[in-house]
Amino acid sequence: MSPRWRLLLLTLALLALAPGLWRVARAMPPFGSPTSLYGPAINQLAPAARHVSNMVAAVNFDFRGFDTLGEETMLLCAVTGAVVLLRGSRGEGGRDRAGRLPGRTVAPRADATVLVCRLSAALVLLFGVYVVLHGTVTPGGGFQGGVIAASSFLLLYLGEGYDVWRRLMRGPLLQLLEAGGALAFVVAAAVPLIRAHPALTNLLPLGQFRSLYSGGLVLVVNDAVGLSVTGSFGMLLLEFLEETRSSASDPVPDEEDT
Amino acid sequence: MSGSFGSLSFGILPWLIAAWLFAVGLYGIVSSRNYVHLIGCLAVCQSATYVLLLAIGLHRGAGPPIFYDHPPGTRAVDPVVQALVLTDIVVGAAVTALLLAIALQVQKRRGSVDPQALRPLRPTQ
Repeated sequence: MSPRWRLLLLTLALLALAPGLWRVARAMPPFGSPTSLYGPAINQLAPAARHVSNMVAAVNFDFRGFDTLGEETMLLCAVTGAVVLLRGSRGEGGRDRAGRLPGRTVAPRADATVLVCRLSAALVLLFGVYVVLHGTVTPGGGFQGGVIAASSFLLLYLGEGYDVWRRLMRGPLLQLLEAGGALAFVVAAAVPLIRAHPALTNLLPLGQFRSLYSGGLVLVVNDAVGLSVTGSFGMLLLEFLEETRSSASDPVPDEEDT
Repeated sequence: MSGSFGSLSFGILPWLIAAWLFAVGLYGIVSSRNYVHLIGCLAVCQSATYVLLLAIGLHRGAGPPIFYDHPPGTRAVDPVVQALVLTDIVVGAAVTALLLAIALQVQKRRGSVDPQALRPLRPTQ
């Protein structure tokens, strides 16, 4: 199908859908008014029931915890798939040294760049850990904090250059973080089963409302997700950056194409 | 109906913005000549779901669903859709990385990331 035909087909489809869309939009509840009872009910009950002041974390890691377990698995699968695809030609060996392209010059960095990157990488990593740990109390949580912590790795790369960065970033350590976090989530979900409770039942002491150690199992799962997300995104950075160092002329082991 | 049209049309604006974002992303996907661009367009499509979910959860005059500064019982927006958007964003980022990895492999094997150039999905000679 030529691009013109595809665009024509899209236009026709959108035009056909437009009246339905208009009716649905008109039938939607007015913007800014409560639509479901579920959310307000959680806002009412969760602070007393779970001693958690961040309702989003309470929903994510407790009330819809099983759903989040599925999403965590999805994240793990997507990252595993990306890593397998990227490694493709490089093989599974997972060398620890930086790959090198012959003839690529290493651009010298200004001292100021190195200093700023070192300082900000440390601060960003610290902030990421802070956001993860305070997930049950203030805005944040495992998902956000994990991504922030992983972004500090990129700052480190910016300042130190690839060789040093590659020595600092240990593939096995990141894999351990990624898989260990996911495993901790699964264990947290499974342990209540042994005691004949539904999965992810919050049996741990709930702690004090608005304190760092509040939420019981919510905090455990939150931290597990934080570890896993840090490992996942660190792993992605590692594999994508390693990809820029593998030369294009590398033979692609291929069964059917050639 | 025509009397309340002014306020009505403003009330449906968020839903229309979500639909517009989705349509724009779809247009980009359909007309794309580069897989990296196509993946970006997919992210635009996805952002339509963020707008839709957050708009559904908004309560006018309500605060954030974090009861740290204000006591429990204060009016707050729906936390459920916010949690959904949160996981949506993170999983979306991972899936985008997966798609980019696929695009890289396509570039390596076929020497092109143009969906048009890859039309016949047969082994090349």
